[in-house]
Amino acid sequence: MYNLLIKELRLGVHPFFYLMPFLTGALMLIPGWLYFLVILYFCFLTIPNMFAGYKTQNDLIFSSMLPVTKKDIVKARIYVIVLLELLHLVVAMIYGAISVRFFPELVYYFFKPTFGFWGLCFVMIAIFNLIFISMYYKTAYKYGAATFASIAGAMLFATGAEWLSIENAAIYEFFKGAGSDQLANHLFVFMAGIVIFALFTIIAYYIAIKRFQKVEAQ
Amino acid sequence: MLALEINNLNKTYEHFQLKNVSFQLEKGYIMGFIGANGAGKTTTIKSILNLVRMDSGEIQILGKNMAEHEIELKQEIGSAFGDINFYTRSKIKTLTNVIKRFYTHWDDEVYNKYLKKFNLIEDKKIAELSTGMRVKYSLALALSHGAKLLILDEPTSGLDPVARDQLLDIFQELVQDGEISILFSTHITSDLEKCADYITYIHDGQIINSAEKETFIDTYRLLQGKNEDLDKVKQALIAYKTTSFGFTGLIHTKDFDPALDIKASIPNLEEIMIYCSKKESVYV
Repeated sequence: MYNLLIKELRLGVHPFFYLMPFLTGALMLIPGWLYFLVILYFCFLTIPNMFAGYKTQNDLIFSSMLPVTKKDIVKARIYVIVLLELLHLVVAMIYGAISVRFFPELVYYFFKPTFGFWGLCFVMIAIFNLIFISMYYKTAYKYGAATFASIAGAMLFATGAEWLSIENAAIYEFFKGAGSDQLANHLFVFMAGIVIFALFTIIAYYIAIKRFQKVEAQ
Repeated sequence: MLALEINNLNKTYEHFQLKNVSFQLEKGYIMGFIGANGAGKTTTIKSILNLVRMDSGEIQILGKNMAEHEIELKQEIGSAFGDINFYTRSKIKTLTNVIKRFYTHWDDEVYNKYLKKFNLIEDKKIAELSTGMRVKYSLALALSHGAKLLILDEPTSGLDPVARDQLLDIFQELVQDGEISILFSTHITSDLEKCADYITYIHDGQIINSAEKETFIDTYRLLQGKNEDLDKVKQALIAYKTTSFGFTGLIHTKDFDPALDIKASIPNLEEIMIYCSKKESVYV
């Protein structure tokens, strides 16, 4: 399993994708921007590019020929996805904290980078993972439809959340008004987001293993 | 001891079927797996390696069932696909450093020995290697992890005659000690004439014959006669071709009556392959 992880990190992921979070994260410094996009760039760019790499380099056959179980092949790949997602989120959170200090008086139309918002980002990525990982492992090489559907799912959640936070006064107050300073409440949403993220990713992992067992390395 | 034993392997696709594929390879020998393009060579090899799931059948490698001991056996197998390349933009060094972690019996000394022997430069990228060098790199990897069975899909296809000859010499060297066995598929019959001990011939998803090379060839006779003699043997012929000078046909040795005044010679593998596949079109 550890060897597969090394294989993923050294062969599968181009070094550029380890730097990406530091570039996209910097977008948090744009005052009052639509911050969901910062995390969505991972879905828009990193995922399809990474998986195109796996496809063109015949990773499916390469991995299948190694003395490893199919279960471990899936597990290592999901670890790498989660690792990159966490990197994107943590880096964006750091930039977000800087952004809030830079613009303390700003009136936010879209979400303010609070812990509650990051909790929502975890939920968005959870939806992305559940759709992408489970769809991708039907073939383990076709990533187009899985990327499209998972991005659509994540965007729908983001759009719905943004809309609610504008339309609903209580939600507005919680995320952008006086409520945005209530750290305990926000940490609760944050933790809930992490739990949903973990849960959805684990469900995706089990679906992926089940589907990957039937996949043939053509 | 058998290095490889395949019993009644079946695999059905929408437009193609492997039907009861069975053959055996003795330890320490080279088996050539021949067949036309699309005959089922790669599908059989992929089934052996469990890259495709067989519908039914049993595969034993070095005395162990592949389905039950896949991970353990993959430590003992070295494989290469002539036409599929992996991570071609990576350097040999990078790829080896990743691959060697997976093998418990990896030996750096053996690896370096083969790098030198095959003139492989570690700083080169896979994309910069010629087709022959890529096969040699796969062999170096396989031998460095102590593979006892080499399963190679079309390793000689796309190689120039010199590189092919070199590779076949290497195959023969490898099996000399009796520890390593090689199964390699090809549609180039001269490769087999040079180095194979056993030959398995697959046509349209079915094994036509699997035997020691001499026995395999001896199973058939090539007949050449006048057109008026054709009727005497027509029924027994596997397939035949006629020209204004007469006919040429392939027959099973057991079906041939030497008393007939028809010239019989020992065919080469190419002729066997051509006539056996022609048989199919006769029925169609």
